[in-house]
Amino acid sequence: MPDSDQFPVKIEQPTQGGNIFSRVFDELTAFCRSRSLFILHYCTGCGAIELPPAMTSRFDMERLGISPMVSPRQADILLITGYVSVKTLKRVMLTYEQMGSPKYVIGICSCTVNGGMYWQSYATAKKLNDYMPVDLYIAGCMPRPEAVITGLRQLMENIAAGKANGWQDYYKRYDYYLGNQQRLFGETWQTPTDVIAEARHYGLLGPQTLGEHTRLLQQHQKPLEALEMRLGLGAPEKVKP
Amino acid sequence: MSDAHLPVERLSIILGEVKDVRVSQRGPRRTRLDVAADALPALLELLKGRAGYVHLSAISCVDWPADDQFELVYHLWSYELNALVSVHTRIARDPGVYVSVYDIYHPAGFFERDIHEMYGVFFEGAPDMEKFILTEWDGPPPMRKEFDSEAWVNEHFDWQDYRPDWLLELEAQGGGIVIPPDEQRFSRRGVTESDDES
Repeated sequence: MPDSDQFPVKIEQPTQGGNIFSRVFDELTAFCRSRSLFILHYCTGCGAIELPPAMTSRFDMERLGISPMVSPRQADILLITGYVSVKTLKRVMLTYEQMGSPKYVIGICSCTVNGGMYWQSYATAKKLNDYMPVDLYIAGCMPRPEAVITGLRQLMENIAAGKANGWQDYYKRYDYYLGNQQRLFGETWQTPTDVIAEARHYGLLGPQTLGEHTRLLQQHQKPLEALEMRLGLGAPEKVKP
Repeated sequence: MSDAHLPVERLSIILGEVKDVRVSQRGPRRTRLDVAADALPALLELLKGRAGYVHLSAISCVDWPADDQFELVYHLWSYELNALVSVHTRIARDPGVYVSVYDIYHPAGFFERDIHEMYGVFFEGAPDMEKFILTEWDGPPPMRKEFDSEAWVNEHFDWQDYRPDWLLELEAQGGGIVIPPDEQRFSRRGVTESDDES
């Protein structure tokens, strides 16, 4: 069966008063989007070892239109491959918020699902979808490349069907996710990304976007300062205020 | 290697200079020395300066809550004899303060910083007692025996929901989890559905 048969483009009857072409373009966009995905693989754990065979000639995920990308700004999928320590989770959050929407998160290995073999450890986060919306979990310890490919195909299917909307959930329920982050990182936790402003920009500001946790964030929020530019290897000089 | 050149034979001369050292030979090239806490720095000086044990491989710490003590083990290696000496000492658990051996062995700085973080033992004279690996950690020292990791996890993390909708879908297709959630070790034992809702 050719691949294209799996993703039929359905043209539904336009609703009354609606733009006749809007649905068509939405579905076409979703279809095209699902066929060209760039993965940012955040290789925190053991599962990373299954990705090189999945990417390269043995299983070759490029035949599905999926290829690796080095920068979060230019990636669609954030692939978390294994356990996430609390320290790492902060970096993962920063990475996730830097990605441009629409973005998708895949949790690979059982550690991202429920803590896996580190279920009892004080140092690792147990449930990735407490802190960011996860579109798809690929369970296993570790999942083989076949499972990774199957999971990616499922994600492609979900994207084409318009079901992979985790990134919208992050804006709509930002208060919930922020609350879980604050529980772990302390109430002074803040990221350089202004998620609330982004939610406004995307028109996704919902009733659960703002809440007690975002109020707490706004109390503690410090304005960002530009990074200091420095040339050479010498000790940093004190900048006059 | 003849018996006359066993590491412990060579050590016997310098060990006489430190009071109350208990020597036990654990193997042909492994020696264990038990020494009082106040004599340990002098013993390390001698071992490094006169016996050639120039390499401090590690400092380990053992918590003995029943004795109310920490045991510190200094692992020393000699490249000339290819032999290992472990110097054991015990310090009181409270207040858990000991002297740094950074001036004798510089790598000790890292090990002491690590032990300070994991056990809360403070080393006087160490160059840096700041956080090392657990930079985001503000709980009690996690390697102490009284630290209950499972209780900490229960307090700070939520467990995965074992009856989500997508699992019902999988079960309808003939899949699902093999071990029932209540029998899994990391299930939320004792947590009933009514507790969840309240």
